[in-house]
This record gives sequence, structure tokens and C-alpha cells, in this order.
Amino acid sequence: MKHVDEISCLLYLEGQLERARALELSAHVDECSSCRTLLRALENESRLLTRALAEGEEMVPARLLVIPGHAREPVSWAWVGTLGLAATAVYAAWTGYVEPWRQQLEQAGFSGNNLLNLLLFQGAFWKGWQSMIGLLEILAMMTLGGVGIALLRRRFRRWSAAAMILTVFAIGLGMPSTTSAAEFRKGQSMVVAQEEIIKNDLIVTGQRLRIDGTVEGDVISFSESLEVNGHVTGDLITFARTLRVNGRVDGNIRAIANNAIISGTVGKNILSVVEGLTLDSKGTVGGSVTVFCGSLSMDGNMGRDLLAYSGHAILNGIVGGSMKIRGADLTIGPTAEIKGTALYEQGARSHKPEVSPQAKFASPLEIKIVEHHRPYDRPGWYIWKIIWMGAAFLLGLVLILLMPRFSSDVVSSTHRYGAALGIGLVVWCGALFSAVIICVTVVGLALGISMLTFWLLVNYLAKIIVGAWLGEMILGRSTDTGSLVARIAVGLPIVVAVMMVPAIGMLATFLVWIWGMGALSLTIYHRLHRGTVMSPAGPVTA
Amino acid sequence: MVDARRQPGGMSAPGKTEPTEAISRARAGNTEAWGDLYQFYAPAIFRFCRRALPTREDAEDATMDIFLKVRKNLAQFDSSRPFSAWLYKVAANHCWDLLRRRRSRQDKETGDLETLPLEHPDPGQLEQLIAKHTSEEIRRALDKLSARGRMALVLRYYSDMSYEEVAEALGVRRAFVGVVLLRARHELREALGRPDAMAAGGTP
Repeated sequence: MKHVDEISCLLYLEGQLERARALELSAHVDECSSCRTLLRALENESRLLTRALAEGEEMVPARLLVIPGHAREPVSWAWVGTLGLAATAVYAAWTGYVEPWRQQLEQAGFSGNNLLNLLLFQGAFWKGWQSMIGLLEILAMMTLGGVGIALLRRRFRRWSAAAMILTVFAIGLGMPSTTSAAEFRKGQSMVVAQEEIIKNDLIVTGQRLRIDGTVEGDVISFSESLEVNGHVTGDLITFARTLRVNGRVDGNIRAIANNAIISGTVGKNILSVVEGLTLDSKGTVGGSVTVFCGSLSMDGNMGRDLLAYSGHAILNGIVGGSMKIRGADLTIGPTAEIKGTALYEQGARSHKPEVSPQAKFASPLEIKIVEHHRPYDRPGWYIWKIIWMGAAFLLGLVLILLMPRFSSDVVSSTHRYGAALGIGLVVWCGALFSAVIICVTVVGLALGISMLTFWLLVNYLAKIIVGAWLGEMILGRSTDTGSLVARIAVGLPIVVAVMMVPAIGMLATFLVWIWGMGALSLTIYHRLHRGTVMSPAGPVTA
Repeated sequence: MVDARRQPGGMSAPGKTEPTEAISRARAGNTEAWGDLYQFYAPAIFRFCRRALPTREDAEDATMDIFLKVRKNLAQFDSSRPFSAWLYKVAANHCWDLLRRRRSRQDKETGDLETLPLEHPDPGQLEQLIAKHTSEEIRRALDKLSARGRMALVLRYYSDMSYEEVAEALGVRRAFVGVVLLRARHELREALGRPDAMAAGGTP
């Protein structure tokens, strides 16, 4: 008999040959040493192969230890944790930032009214929201959205990320349109003619806008320049390079502008962030003026208080209430008159104010030299940083428990430096710009704001993500939830500390933002394109 | 014959009794029993996927997907048969589907399944080739195999599937399972024998 071929040997070894053929083969092998060696070699190979496959018991990754669809209890407490955390963050933000501001602004003439309410819910800015009773409904809606996301997440596991984004978009789109009760105009240059009367709110976008006629309502504008020569009975809310009010605005002016010149009459208050604000000697403001600006020139009359944070301030007009200016230098001219208290806060290195002896004061000008203490010198600042870091850590913990797979994927993505940073830069800028553009084109104000919020949230999450990366760099790659949390605990403080370093910190912060955002985008991208665009080696092999 | 065979969660793992009670309770819709079942089998299925698929991430994802499938189709399981066999069948089908969808690697193995060089290899050389490599090197070399070859080796020598089961999982005729296995072994020998395989087998 001729030698046995390899396939027969294999089938023989595996017991797959028919009996007759097996006997024949076995008889041949008894006599032929060459075939015997082949048979033995194959058998050896089988054994080694089996052993090689059986060995190498890998650690089972943590996310597999979480029983899918069985995480009801952890989810509910995770939600409680998230809500508690959110409440803490809101409280901290309120007491740390909003409340002091509110108090200051209240003293400056926005008294008797909740500023937040005034700004957000009573202003024409949020016209559409007026149909809602208020904050309660918003909270209810957010809760509903959250529950929706949770349900979707369970249903369409793979599409969880997509569902989340879509829900945000849906909420954004579902918000009552701000334009519903208003006249909407658009154009290169737009003029409301002298005899024209608009008995409605007017929302306008365009390059050059001029209102010569009458608007019986609020005016909201986004433009390069806005000139009001006519009469606006409501508020004037504007984003413009140049704002000029020669006519009359019965309500408030809220402006973000490069240059604002008021030579007409403003019935109520002015709140504005501008490069230069000028209140002409012919101009009058019935209420108070609150302004953040580079240079300020107030020659007209103000009915109530003046509160200004400005680089250079010149005051020649009459302040009906008290004055508080904080800035680098101040000139008070001979025609100036302050009927309330007068306070000037100046930096230690700035000039002394020039005060004309003819200026009238109800009480002497108080000058306070503000020590420009850097935050690094105050222990409180560190305590707050630590509290915020703890909050960030907890948030990371909650997210890992809620979405163990997604979280570990995101952290893996940080190791693809080039891709993460590249995509991060594009998404970071792209999302920011598109959010701003959506905001500016009014139609999608709600959508733009949701997007912006989302963008900010991701920026916040970025340091947790990068913290996890750093932790992995120090302690090695994480294998389960516990070890990932440990890595965040190690990495996050270092990342936060680096972000606090004066000059380098800014750069580091930006890097952390785009990196974190890139890792997140990369993961979402892979989730959405799974199965269609996959390299043979899979997404991450490092 | 191959007495050194050890089956970590293999199909016919001796000494590992199936949690029959948990299986029937899980079939009845008991979440807790499902959790027990998951914890009992998930590590083995993960290890299986880890061997059948190219990357760890793939294996993790596949494990999750397999258990989702299993949970959904639990009612279809014939309780008179071993549960782990059914589980591995689902896992094998899932992994094979996944690999098949990523065509890129398989382009080289089109249809030439039945043309196997039947020459008599030099047994001494063969023996030496395999024996001088560590288990880890062999596992790494598996990455260089065609998807079908790799899958066949894993199904047969890790999951201890029968030829019928391998045939069904890979969608080939039963008569050709041996050929598929032998071809896979040839590929493995080639991968191990290539000097660059050794170099590439270092730290990735």
C-alpha cells in the first residue's frame, strides 16, 4: 500500500474514518515508520493546538460582569446619584456665582424682581416660554426626556448614543418657536419706514437695520448695525456691531455690541456688554445702567443707579441713584451729579480718579482699592476646586455604572491620539460655531442653546475622560469597572491640577477639551457605523 | 487520544454540571435566574469569542450581542439537549456572521476549498515547527489565519464541537470539515514558520 496522505491521517486521528478504511490505515502505519511519524506529528499538533487554545485565560472585562438587562437596581440608584449630584452642582453654582451677582445687580437697580426671571422668563428673549408656567414645566420636561432616554437605551442598546443625541435634538425642535407671536424679517438692509407701525414684536436679522417707524412690541435683532430713530414701545434686545438709539425705547435695552451710542430716550434700564458705551448729553435713561465695557462715556441723565465694570470711564451726566464703578481709571467731569452714594473700586496699580471740583456729590466719593488677589492665594478657591473635582469624579462614576461599555470604549479611544485630537478639534470648533450660528439665526434658538449646553457638558466630561487616560498611563490599562474608576481617581486630580497652572493651564485645558470631545465623538462614530466601516483589525488594538 | 485536552467551559466539559434549574427558570422569564445563567456562561463565551475574533473589543461586543440573542431566543431552546451546546452554536453563528461580513480578510480564500495539496509533509519538520513554539506564539499566529481557518480550529479544538456541528456553524458540507481543518493547520504552520511572524509576534 502506498503512503497515507495527511488528510486521512487527520481524519483517522479524529475518528472520522469509516471502520474499514481506519483498519487499513492502522495496518499500514504499523509497518511504515514514515507514516507513523506523520501520524504522531499530527497528534502532537492537535494536542499543542488544544493546549494553546485552552491556555491564556484572560481576565473577563468588567463590562461583561454587569448583567445586561439586569441592572435595574443599579440604574435606579445611579439616577438618584445623578440627581443628587446635579442638585449639589446647581447649589454650588448658585451660591458661588449667581447669588453674589444677583445681589450686586439688585443693588444696582434691578431690585424687587428676580433677575433670572427678568432676564430669562419675562424678557422677549423667551417669548415662547411664556406659554409654560415656568421652571416646573421645564423640569418636568427634562425628567421626561431623561426617562425617555433611559427607556430608549434599554430598547435599542446599540443606538443609545444616537437616541440620546436625537432626543436632545427633538426636545430642541419641540420647543415652542420664538417666532410664533412675532413678525420676522430678514434682509441685507432693512428699514422700518417712518410712517410704518408694527403692532407686534419684531425679530430682524440683516446687515444694516434701521427703525424709523414705530414698533409696538419688542425688537430682537441680530445685525451688523442697528439704528433706532423711531419708537419702540417694548424692549430692545440686540446683538450688533454698532447700536445707535436716536429715537425712543420705552422698555429695556439689552445689548451685546461693539459700540453702543444712546442719544435718544430709554424708558427703563440698560444692561449691556459692549466695547464702548456712550450716553450722549441728549440721551436719557429712565432706569439704571448696568454695563460691562472697555470704555464708558456717560454724559446724559440716568434716572437710577449706574453700575459699571469698565476699563476707562468718563462721567459728565446725572446719576439719579447711586454709582458704583469698578475699573482702571475714572474721570468725573464738572457737570456730573450723583444723587446717591458714589463708590469707585480701583486696582492697586491703576490711576487715582480725576474728579472735577465742580461735580456734585450727595455723599463723598468713596474710593476702594481692590487688591487684585489671585485665586491661588485663597484657600477657599482650592476647597471649591476640590469639591468640583469630587463632583466630576462622582459624575464619572455614575456614567461608568450607567454605561460601562460606552465609558470603557471612550477611554480606549483616548489612546488613539491622532484621531482623537484631530476629530476633537473639528468637532469642538464645529459644534461651537454651528450652535452659535443656529442661535443667531433665531429660528433655532432653543436648539442652539441645547446644543451649546451639550457642548459645555462634553467639555466638562472631557477632563474625566482624559483623567482616565492618564490613570491608565500610570497604572496600566483598566480591565474592569473598578479598575477604571481607580484610574480616574488617580488621573483626574493630576489633570485638574495641570489645568490650574497659570499659563500652561489654558493650553492644557483646551487640549483636554478637544481630546475628550474627540474620544467621545470617535466612540459615537464607531457605534453608529459598526459593521459597515470596520478595519479588519477592529477599532482599537493598542 | 488527545488526553491533554482541557475544556474551559467547552461543550462537553466534564465536571461542570449545567445549572438546569436556572435555565428553566430563566426560560420562564425569571430575571434573577437569567443573571445567574449569564454569570455562569459569560466568561466561557467571552473566551470563545476572544479566540474566534481578531480583537478584544470585538470579543467583548460579540459576547454582549450573543447573550442578547440568547435571551431573546431562550424560548426556542430545546431543553432536552445540553444548554452549552446550544449556547456555543449561537456564539459560533454570531462570530462567523461577523467575520463573514468583514470580507477584507477572506478574499484570498474563494472557493478553492476542495483543492488541497495532498503531498506528504515532512513529519520531522512538522513536529519541530509546532513543538518549538509556545502556546502564546501559537495563539498569536492564529491572528494571521483566514477567518474560516481560525474559526474552524477554535470550534474544533477549543469548543470541542463535532464535525457535524462545525459543518453547520461554518456552512460547509460535513465531508469537507477535515479539509478545512487541515488547511487551517497548514496556514498555522506557515504563519509560525515565517520569520516575520516571529518578529511580529513580539510585543505589539
